[in-house]
Parts: sequence; C-alpha cells; structure tokens
Amino acid sequence: MQTSATPRSLGWLLLPALLVLALFLGSVVLLFLNAFWTKDGFSLVYFRQIVERPDYHEVFLRTASISVVVALASAVLAYPIAWLLWRLPRWRNLLLVIVLVPWLVSLVVRTYGWLVILGPKGFLNEALAWIGAIQSPLPLIFNDLGVVIGLTHVLMPFAVIATLSVLLQIDTRLEEASESLGASDLATWCRVVLPLSLPGVFTGISITFLTSMGAIVTPILLGGLRQKMAGTQIYQEVVYNFNMSKASAWALCLLLLSGLGLVVLRAVEGALVPKADR
Amino acid sequence: MRRGSIAVTGVGKEFGATTVLNEVDLAIEGGSFVTLLGPSGCGKTTLLRLIAGFLEPSRGAIAIDGAAMQGVPPRRRPIGMVFQNLALFPHLDVFENVAYGLKVRGTPATDIAGPVSRFLGLVGLAGFERRRIGQLSGGQKQRVALARSLVLEPAILLLDEPLSALDLQLRRQLQVELKSIQRQLATTFVFVTHDQEEATLLSDIIVVMDGGRVQQVGTPGEIYRRPASPFVARFVGDINMLPGRIVSVDAASAEIEIGGRRFRLPLAAVVGKTRAGASCEIACRPESISVQPASGANTDPGTSFGARVGALHRLGPMLKVSFDTVHGPLTGLMMTNAPAAQLVENQSVQLSIAADSLTVFANP
Repeated sequence: MQTSATPRSLGWLLLPALLVLALFLGSVVLLFLNAFWTKDGFSLVYFRQIVERPDYHEVFLRTASISVVVALASAVLAYPIAWLLWRLPRWRNLLLVIVLVPWLVSLVVRTYGWLVILGPKGFLNEALAWIGAIQSPLPLIFNDLGVVIGLTHVLMPFAVIATLSVLLQIDTRLEEASESLGASDLATWCRVVLPLSLPGVFTGISITFLTSMGAIVTPILLGGLRQKMAGTQIYQEVVYNFNMSKASAWALCLLLLSGLGLVVLRAVEGALVPKADR
Repeated sequence: MRRGSIAVTGVGKEFGATTVLNEVDLAIEGGSFVTLLGPSGCGKTTLLRLIAGFLEPSRGAIAIDGAAMQGVPPRRRPIGMVFQNLALFPHLDVFENVAYGLKVRGTPATDIAGPVSRFLGLVGLAGFERRRIGQLSGGQKQRVALARSLVLEPAILLLDEPLSALDLQLRRQLQVELKSIQRQLATTFVFVTHDQEEATLLSDIIVVMDGGRVQQVGTPGEIYRRPASPFVARFVGDINMLPGRIVSVDAASAEIEIGGRRFRLPLAAVVGKTRAGASCEIACRPESISVQPASGANTDPGTSFGARVGALHRLGPMLKVSFDTVHGPLTGLMMTNAPAAQLVENQSVQLSIAADSLTVFANP
C-alpha cells in the first residue's frame, strides 16, 4: 500500500474551506445582529412592522404562494422531460444540453426574452390578435402570472435534473418484472416507476421552492409595480433605502417561512414515500 | 398433453451484426424441468428472453401450448419470470410484491390474501408478509421472487440464473426446494445456468448450448454418458481427452488406435464422420479408469498400461488422482475408501479403462 502524507502536513488544504465557512457563518451572525440592533440599539421594530402591517402580510403570502405554484409547475413540466431523457439514452446528452442551454444566457437577458414574448405588444398577444382570438392584449406580464412563468422557466431545469438522477437509478429489470406479472406500460408506470421516482420529484420541488422564495430579478422585471415579493422588498431596502436592519429582519422572516415550507414538504413526502426507500 | 409445452422452430436472433442464436429447434414437454446450460455468451439467456417475449426472434417461431407467440407481449404470455437480480419491487413489502401480479390483473381484494399466503407458505416465508425487501437475506429474496411469479400460476416459469449470487450451501438447499416445488406444481420450469452440476441435479432435460447453437438435448444421464460433441463432453463433468486414430471401420464397429494399442468399439460410441485413417479424440470419464498395483500378477499388458501417481485431491468421499501415463496426463476418480485408492504420490501403478465407457469423436 502506498503511504500517504500525514494528515498534519495536509492540514493547510482545509484553509479555503475554513475561509468559506467563516464568511458564511459571519454573514449569518451579521444578519442576526443587524436585525435586532437598529441605530437606536436593540429593537424589534421591524419585526413588529411585519407582524402588524397587512400589506407586508400580503407580500409574504404572495412570495409563498408564487413559490408553491412555481415548484409544482416545475415538477409537473419537468417530469415528462426527465422521463423522456431517461427513456431515450441515445438522445440523452443532446436533450440534456437543450434543457440546460438557457443557463448559458444571463438571467436578465432570459427574463427580457419573456418581455418580448408576453408583453402587451409582445409576440403572443400580437399573434392572438392577428388570428382574431382576442380584442385587447392579455395581461400576461407585470403581474403574478408573469412572475410564475418567468421563474418556472428559470428553475425547471433543476427539477429535470433532480428527477432524472433518481429515474436513472431505477433498475430497468423492475419494469420487465412488472410486465412479466401482467402489468401494462401505464400500470407499470403508476405502480413502479412513479413511486420510485417520487424522491427525485420532491428534491426538485425543494430546490425550486427555495430558490423561488428568494427570487429578486424575475419579480422585479416581470412582476407588477406594487406586487412585490419578499426578495424584491429586501433588495429595495438594501439598495435604495440603505436600511440594513429592516432588510435583515425581512431576510430572517423569509428564512423562517422557507424552513416552514420545507418542514411541510418533508411531511408530505413522508406520507407518500415509504421510509425504507429514502 | 400437459400444459406448458414450448415449441421453438428455426429461431435465430441477431443484435445488429452479431448473431446470438442460430437456427435453434427445441421441443419442451409440458410439466418438465428443463435447463439451458452453457458458458456465458452461448445464447441461453437470449433464448429465455425470446420465450418470455422481451425479445422477438429475427427468424423462426416460438409457440406455447400450440399458440404462436409472435407479437404477443410478455404480459399476455402464460409465463412467469425470475430474474437474475430478482428485480423485487423495493418500495413494496413482501406481501405487496407477491400480490402485485394479482392486483394488476384486477383480482378483487378479497381474493388476493388467500393465494398470497398459500404461495408464501409454499416457499417457506409464512409470517414474512410485512417485511420490507431491504430487510431480507439473499435466500429469502429468492423465495419472494419465486412466490411472486408462481402466485399467478403460469404454465411456464422462466428462471435466469436466479441462484448464481448465493453461496454454495444456500444454493444447494434452494436447488432441492426448487425441484420439489416444481414437482408439486407440475409447472414447466425453464432454468438458465452455466453450472453443469446445478443442471444435472435439477433437470429432467438439459439443453447444452454453445456459440448460439443447441449442442445436445437429453437427460442428464444421456448427456453425461453419450456427449454429442467434444464441447459437451468437456463442459459436463470432468473428462480426459486422448488423441487417437481410427484404423478401420466395418458395419458394426470401429477399430481405434491409441498410443500403439488397438481396440474395437461399437459404432454407436463413435461420433462424427467415421472413416479409416481419420484422427480422433477419445473421451474417457475419470471414474472409468481403474487402478491396479504395478506388481500385480493378474496385469494384462494388452489392455492396461503403466502410470505414475501425481497429485492427490480429496473431494469429500471421493479421491481425485492425477496420473502421468504414456498417453499423457489422465485424471482418475474413485471412492476414498476403495482398496485401489490407497495411493501415494510417485507410486507406479497399472491403469485399465473399460472400452465400453469411452466415446470417440472423429475429427472432421
């Protein structure tokens, strides 16, 4: 056997990791400090604001519901794509590139792309007007629908990858076994493939839900002027109002809400997926 | 005729440019235990998957109980299958695995528990209903896979090397149980293996395959005593192969020469094109070699020849002996407690071989 260098002499390799950890923990500590210590000393004023102001409730509620819709839409749209990628091993790499290629374009550019398609004078409205399906442009953008469309487009590839990675672990002999026991393709999918791929679907939902909870760029560009999400509110406090304490209080509440969402998601997964398979 | 007969006629299979099966003809009787035996890559698993319907033949036809199977998907064939890796459903417990086939066939819930517990009992897993697959041992998984297929009472059960992952002890035990279950149910079992001992132990009929062709079909005894080709002779059981020559041939017998000695054999013991002057291989089973002490008074120089004892291997009650002879190395097999088996290394002995135990393969 080859003798490796002693652990002590390799200790310096940990330095970058420790640096990242220190920065991460430091920022969390700063977040807490900022949230509770305003320029007037210890204060819960921004938390009280969040608890008391109905317009702030609305922002959190909108953030959560948009994120739930985006996560579910991503999961539903991603599943057939992941299934296709799994079923067509010969085309898998090419199709995967097509799924991921939007990531090569900056988020802002991609989001502006939706303006061109969904805007009042965008491609879709013009086309629908031209065939006479609509009299006035549909409000597809600068509202919650626009945010959902934009975020789903950005986040769906994560759900595809999460679902595909679990599908790829399914033994194809299981499908043959199911068929030899008399099951049709549909029955095999319902009774074997879907239950075994659910963990991947739930991973995808977790990723898209959490990312969507913290979204900033897409809601700013595609959302309505007065229909903020928590991320945009925080962005505004930091960039325009320089109110770090308020931004931190919001960030903590958003973190709490995201954590709550994850707990609910785990409970649903626990009810649907048997323990031994997780 | 009993249910579960299979007729394979002129079946060939290509994967791209590779021919995996070549003009296979095979008739399997209903209710029998048939083994497809051969080295890896001989086409035995392909043939099994063709019968199951997971593959369609490139040529030829397969019929089950007289019904043509072309274009019939596996789920509509009267077959069950036990896979090499078992392919149990990991998200279902033992009961649900066995109940799976009944459920997808729309069996009313009240008619499921009965058969499931009956077949779990048959394979010796009563009381394991609520265990998860991950909690089972290799042998128990094996039994679940068996019950899962058998609960649908298929006419034919196809088994693709299901025991190959188990250790020898457990393997022997399950072989015995498998055979007894097959006898009880009278289901046709088609069993794929590369283990000739397993095939000999289990089968009514062995189909020896090599290079995508059927080499021989017969009972384990026939295949052992009268191998149809040097390949079969070498693959099934231990064998000594000695080079020789066919001296002359008449209506009933052939005269064979080996190392300067000549003897006559009935033509039935000669395989291949028999003509005078052809070289041949002489197959001799180790247990048909008998040993006498070199100094023995009754040694007949005409039928026996001298040898030196090489390595001795004890195999339980049997003793395997390597001899160095004028004809080359020979392996002998005898009961350890036989008088002739009291041998030591480098001892000189006389060997004789009963001519009627030999099979001669004429070289083309």
